[in-house]
Amino acid sequence: MMDVGRHPRINLLTYSEIDNISGYIGNFHVTVRKKARFVDEAECNACGECEKVCPVVAVDEFQQGFSSRKAIYMPFPQAVPSVYILNERDCLGHNPIACGKCSDVCEKQCIDFDMKDQLIEFDVGAVIVATGMDVYDPTEMDEYGYTRYENVITSMEFERLISAGGPTTGHFIRPTDRETPKHIGFIQCVGSRTQNGKGNPYCSNICCMNTIKDSLLLKDHYPDTEIKVFYIDIRAFGKGFEDLFQRSKQAGVQYIRGVPGEVFEDPATKNITMTVENTATGAIEDHEFEMVVLSTGVIPRNDSEVIRSLLSLSRTEDGFFMESHPKLKPVDAPTGGVYFAGCVESPTDVKDSVTQASAAAARTEILLNAGQISVEAITSELVPDTCTGCGICVRVCPFNAITGGDAKAKLPVEIVEAACKGCGTCAAECNFDAILMKHFEDAQIMAQIDAILDKDPMEKIVTFACNWCSYAGADLAGLSRMQYPTTQRIIKTMCSGRVDANFVLHAFEQGAPIVLVSGCHFVDCHYIDANRWTQKRVEKLWDDLEKLGIRPERLQLEWISAAEGQKWARTMKELEEMRQQVTEEEVDHTKQVLKEARLKAEAKKKAKESKPKAAEKAPAAAVA
Amino acid sequence: MDEAPFKCLRCGHEFKAPYDKKAPVEHACPKCNSNSVRPLKAKTRPVAKA
Repeated sequence: MMDVGRHPRINLLTYSEIDNISGYIGNFHVTVRKKARFVDEAECNACGECEKVCPVVAVDEFQQGFSSRKAIYMPFPQAVPSVYILNERDCLGHNPIACGKCSDVCEKQCIDFDMKDQLIEFDVGAVIVATGMDVYDPTEMDEYGYTRYENVITSMEFERLISAGGPTTGHFIRPTDRETPKHIGFIQCVGSRTQNGKGNPYCSNICCMNTIKDSLLLKDHYPDTEIKVFYIDIRAFGKGFEDLFQRSKQAGVQYIRGVPGEVFEDPATKNITMTVENTATGAIEDHEFEMVVLSTGVIPRNDSEVIRSLLSLSRTEDGFFMESHPKLKPVDAPTGGVYFAGCVESPTDVKDSVTQASAAAARTEILLNAGQISVEAITSELVPDTCTGCGICVRVCPFNAITGGDAKAKLPVEIVEAACKGCGTCAAECNFDAILMKHFEDAQIMAQIDAILDKDPMEKIVTFACNWCSYAGADLAGLSRMQYPTTQRIIKTMCSGRVDANFVLHAFEQGAPIVLVSGCHFVDCHYIDANRWTQKRVEKLWDDLEKLGIRPERLQLEWISAAEGQKWARTMKELEEMRQQVTEEEVDHTKQVLKEARLKAEAKKKAKESKPKAAEKAPAAAVA
Repeated sequence: MDEAPFKCLRCGHEFKAPYDKKAPVEHACPKCNSNSVRPLKAKTRPVAKA
């Protein structure tokens, strides 16, 4: 960190928050709020005189509440820059100055009570998101007694207690009697791999190795300590990890497969007791410890939503940010020019975080050194004369690639081609056909529907499949030689978001008995959240079909991933059964109803278009 | 998130699941696992004329 702070080409903005990010790949405009620290960064030499005279005593967050700090303080010993900070909330008052003792003793007059937050604006070509993670708070898991029993602590608290820079200068003591505990128990997977509504279902990745390291630290400091680790699985994969695990066992640490259901405190000794089923032996065992350490998992940062909305990112089900591709683009965000490093993407240890950070830096270098980017040929193109500036496309674009638009001023929108990824949701949602999706234009897809239903339409199931998942799922079903009916005819789109309501209605009007819209699962969407719009559109279509007297069942929706060849085959079998139940009379009725509705809509549109013309002529006639 | 009634358009099964129009989530029929599940709107009772 020190090196970063001193680097001539790195501008380190500490105690700052991102206020806004606009723009797109290669052209981001960033606004940073540099919060007032009330101490002149350039002048402060960290002499510490201000801290000595400050009368305020507050909880030291860095020491996990095991010690106190003043209202003016150094956040942590290795802080960069090494300057003090005045906590506005804790200070007795600086406007008007109620105390001012710190200011009186500061010889260099570094303290400025009138300091205000600064807004700093600059342009960047790429953004690396490395905002880290939060630690799971086990208070909700009442069975482990955290906060009820003083001698139950978390792994983060353990870290401070064993650290030479910690509140006890590295002397490991238990909170109740300040004595060094002789029997310590570690409980693994607290808040991780749970299915009971408390905690999270995912593995936090780092806790096993952290406990193994902690156990070795304890054995190193206090060789006589008896340590027992209660675990579900020890996940010691990675270079040298298994070796460390074996060393821990050789040092005398006992690993017991099974976690306690509940822990209790002995009111007299303040010791912690627990009953555990050792699943390796099948025995029920009672254990007593002077101290218990909860190996807590990690969770996404609670303010990650701000970054998500600023950069148009998407999140996986566990709340971490989703990468562009898990294998081929593991540090790229779906938004161009944005990269990930560390725990923003998933729970990651130090080594993997450094690897990711190096990869992200390299990816950024490639982008910035090139100075230009090649965009996909499949992007949206605006038809300015048709655009009314209604702005619906601006709202639905997952990449914020469409800007502007004013319906009142009749200003058309603008499409930033460099930011467009080509999902086609804008083209599907536009009510005025003002957006052309290159290579997936309306006319091209309509022609495919016509070709499919040209002969024997009753024998066909029109299937819209997205390029990345459901089409690949169909491919897998074929490659795996799965048997399924051959009645489906696939129309490929890049994203299911491209499937216009008119495509579905056109297919029904041309005699399709069943139409299927299929795409990626929500968490897999390659266009952030474009398939949410697909679902909304299909739900609206179900309502519209029902109003027209058409069975909504004839329009089907399915999320099929690239790995779900079986689901594809099963869906096709089920749809074939449904197709056989659709009668010719029903299809004829549908065709008739949809034709009438279309003609009516066209007539209405024509009438609406001719109205303004008439209005334009009227004043001229009046003048004449 | 509030619960809403759904109907599976594949097997006809009716069930309740969390539903927020503003924050759509992926739904699947608990019986046949199909994603063709339609949120059913609450039917309003017709007002009797005096």
